[in-house]
Amino acid sequence: MNELTGLVHTPLFGILLTLASYRLALWIYGRSHALPLFHPFIVASIPVIVILPLVGVDYTEYRQQTSAISFLLGPATVALAWPLYRQLHTVRSVWKPILIATAISAVLCAGIAVGLAWWLGAPSAVVGSLAPKSITTPIAVEVVKSTGGYVSLAAGAVAITGIVGALAAGPVFRLLRVTDHRIRGFALGLVAHAIGTARAFEYGEKAGAFAGLALGLCGLFTALALPWVWPWIAGLLG
Amino acid sequence: MIDGLLILLLFQFFGEIIVRLTGLPLPASVVGMVLLLLALLLETPFTQRVAPAAGGLIKHISLLIFPLGVGIVLQWDRYQDNALALGVAVVLGTLISLVLVTLMLKVLFRDGGRKGETPHE
Repeated sequence: MNELTGLVHTPLFGILLTLASYRLALWIYGRSHALPLFHPFIVASIPVIVILPLVGVDYTEYRQQTSAISFLLGPATVALAWPLYRQLHTVRSVWKPILIATAISAVLCAGIAVGLAWWLGAPSAVVGSLAPKSITTPIAVEVVKSTGGYVSLAAGAVAITGIVGALAAGPVFRLLRVTDHRIRGFALGLVAHAIGTARAFEYGEKAGAFAGLALGLCGLFTALALPWVWPWIAGLLG
Repeated sequence: MIDGLLILLLFQFFGEIIVRLTGLPLPASVVGMVLLLLALLLETPFTQRVAPAAGGLIKHISLLIFPLGVGIVLQWDRYQDNALALGVAVVLGTLISLVLVTLMLKVLFRDGGRKGETPHE
């Protein structure tokens, strides 16, 4: 019996659990017709959150078991150059407003989240975890190291941001009378990264392309700026 | 697939070398991404082969991420004191950001879009 219980403490168990949960989540996401609330990030987490405490594996051990999966986040970040390269060709004509919008939006999204959390009295590690919440997760979990935040909190905040943004986009666009697909797509990509981009593709190819571009540029801009700016902001917030 | 993976790891490695040599406070993978983007824009031979591996990794990015995110629940005792601040900052913060960014884009694209209008639009 001891032989069997030891099995849960191997990488095989952690990776199998992760992959099986993800496969199940993909199936459910497909059945829900890609509803943001059923995003694989949320659904895949549930079996893992339930099963780990049952078999007596804690979060730290699980992270070690699945380090082979986490390793792929590095190459996945480098891979973002590919869609960025593809989209740069499609939007050459409007590059100026795009660059300005990216810079302002990156500051706005990070600033509002950091400001609200700080105002409500969150400690600096929690505030720092929220700074990269509007950028794509592989970059966010790297950048959060420079703001002294928690990786797990950053990953969760990014996912929830994406889901809230994707859900709210429809009503917000109706309210503000936005019909231009470039604006819809770009706003979704800037605020709600990959989940918003998936939502933007429902408006069409053009919205999707602008969202993908926004995701790449916003992630890049934040990753390049935040590590320099953060020490100054942290000093300001005390 | 193998070519693509090789390219990705190679550029991540270049990023790592630059970060270590210069001491820049940037993630090595982001530097690698910039280098790969430059290589692609310069039409460097071979780099186009990154497509299948890049596409596959990006498509399944949630698989790489959610094992990190479960920490929010599994380490909840670390975050529960800040639940209100977190909820407000993430949910309300996102709604405010979305409204402001959309308004800003309406202004910016009205000016920039007209000038840059292309025939197929």
